[in-house]
Amino acid sequence: MKNDYLWDGSGEPDPELQRIEKLLARLRYTGEAPEFPAADFLQSQAKPSHLAFFTVGWIPRFAAATLLIVALTASVFFLRPSPLQVSDAPGWDVARLSGTPRVGNFSLANDSSKAQLKVGQLMTTDNSSRASLNVAEVGEIYVDPGSRVRLVESASNHSRLALELGTIHAAIWAPPGEFVVDTPSATAVDLGCAYTLHVNDDGSGTLRTTLGWVGFHKDGHDSFIPAGAMCTTRPAQGPGTPYFEDASEKLRSALHTFDFESLSAADREQTLRTILAQARRRDAFTLWHLLTRVNDDERPLVYDRLSLLVTPPANVTREGTLALDPQMMDAWWNAFDLGDISVWRFWEQKQAPPLLKKAAR
Amino acid sequence: MAITAGARFAALQWSSVNTAAGIDAGDEALVRAAQRGDRAAFGQLYQRYVGMVHGILLSRVPTASAEDLVHDVFLQALRSLAAMREVSRFGPWLAAIARNRATDFHRRAKPNDSLDDQPRASEALENPQREIAIEDSIALLNAVRELPDVYRETLVMRFVEGMTGPEIAAHTGHTHGSVRVNLHRGMQMLREKWQGYAIPAEKEKGS
Repeated sequence: MKNDYLWDGSGEPDPELQRIEKLLARLRYTGEAPEFPAADFLQSQAKPSHLAFFTVGWIPRFAAATLLIVALTASVFFLRPSPLQVSDAPGWDVARLSGTPRVGNFSLANDSSKAQLKVGQLMTTDNSSRASLNVAEVGEIYVDPGSRVRLVESASNHSRLALELGTIHAAIWAPPGEFVVDTPSATAVDLGCAYTLHVNDDGSGTLRTTLGWVGFHKDGHDSFIPAGAMCTTRPAQGPGTPYFEDASEKLRSALHTFDFESLSAADREQTLRTILAQARRRDAFTLWHLLTRVNDDERPLVYDRLSLLVTPPANVTREGTLALDPQMMDAWWNAFDLGDISVWRFWEQKQAPPLLKKAAR
Repeated sequence: MAITAGARFAALQWSSVNTAAGIDAGDEALVRAAQRGDRAAFGQLYQRYVGMVHGILLSRVPTASAEDLVHDVFLQALRSLAAMREVSRFGPWLAAIARNRATDFHRRAKPNDSLDDQPRASEALENPQREIAIEDSIALLNAVRELPDVYRETLVMRFVEGMTGPEIAAHTGHTHGSVRVNLHRGMQMLREKWQGYAIPAEKEKGS
């Protein structure tokens, strides 16, 4: 019955839990509900229904709208838009933070100017401009100077940006897996978090997570980056092996060499041994990534170091891990307490073509 | 005035039985009403979710700041409510705003700012006996805050806010299974962390 008391307070009370409850309950929130300003309520009210169009003076409005549609249709026909069409899907609100950010051909020159970034449209900031993108149920994106961001998709449960160049800081409160950012060398999938993503001129980039965790993937090559960690990506190789930013300089340097440089067999082994020797218990997640990136001869070295740092989870064997058994690999990840990997598996399944999904059932 | 654990659970058990149909259906109606500008509806949502929001904040920021940020979180929610389309996910949406607000707090904090609280000096001067109890509470909270995010958040909701496992699941959108795991693993880690520390039962008698 002890377990039920922890779950819902039923069953025989556990004296230790009762003492903890008594101590911590003193910190319970006791504040009164505040009086929320009326202005905020006005702002919160749903936007006027489109039906309101027909309530008052609808004939002149209808005529004006018809003219507008004709004009737009003609302009679309004659002006031949660029291959990237701007759609009528929900746009993202853009706010100027400094300088003159541009949304399409429109410049936001002062604090009061507002714009919406529509699907297919590009937002750019020059070297002195900053802007924010906001969608109430997704999150906020801060765009640093010298960036190019395109809105690729905007649906109720799926948003996709493309960061072509520069830096964004994302704080996302949409459910995990619903916000995705493409870069030239990898795709970042939000798994409930806040992070900074940077793309260089050559398409390489870095991702730093400040809260929660992020999935970074390209062509089935996955990296998971928990809070406090970062990952480098290159167009040819995709995301490298992620590591905590407080890892030793030797480990970080060796990882970079291992991931992105062409090495002789002897140098490769030496580099791998440096990584393993430098790894702390906290760096076990880095070794977990290495398991899938080393060859069959190297994998036992990685496993032995990993299992020294972290006790293998129940039902996980050396043989199974060396064979990269999917369930055992997932059990390892969950043992690090950095995020539930089932969230990622669910996202992966959603990306699979319909026939594969059917076969998986 | 403190409510006894037994009395509190008597009420919570009733609500947990009705979680699937009652609380969720009611939330949707309240959210839709609040979107239309109904202040009373938003007030009810506030009452239902203030514990969850405070729990999320308290597990991430100092106690005094958590109390201040509760208001900020609801204000941001109110401002964003009109654009919310999946009204059935109000709880997870609000929880994400709270987590995001805590992240923002740390982003703006000075590098040397500590998450740990200091006992409140004014309370200590006014009532020395109470100071001891608060000090113990804060010491225990600081230990909880050293656990991974998911565990500390769940434990704070359970022990500080007095929410049951089913309530935590219903409010945050997590499954019962994951909340149960978080509670048990979190408690296990808390016990390990405090091995050898006697939770000061004797001091409690006088408070």
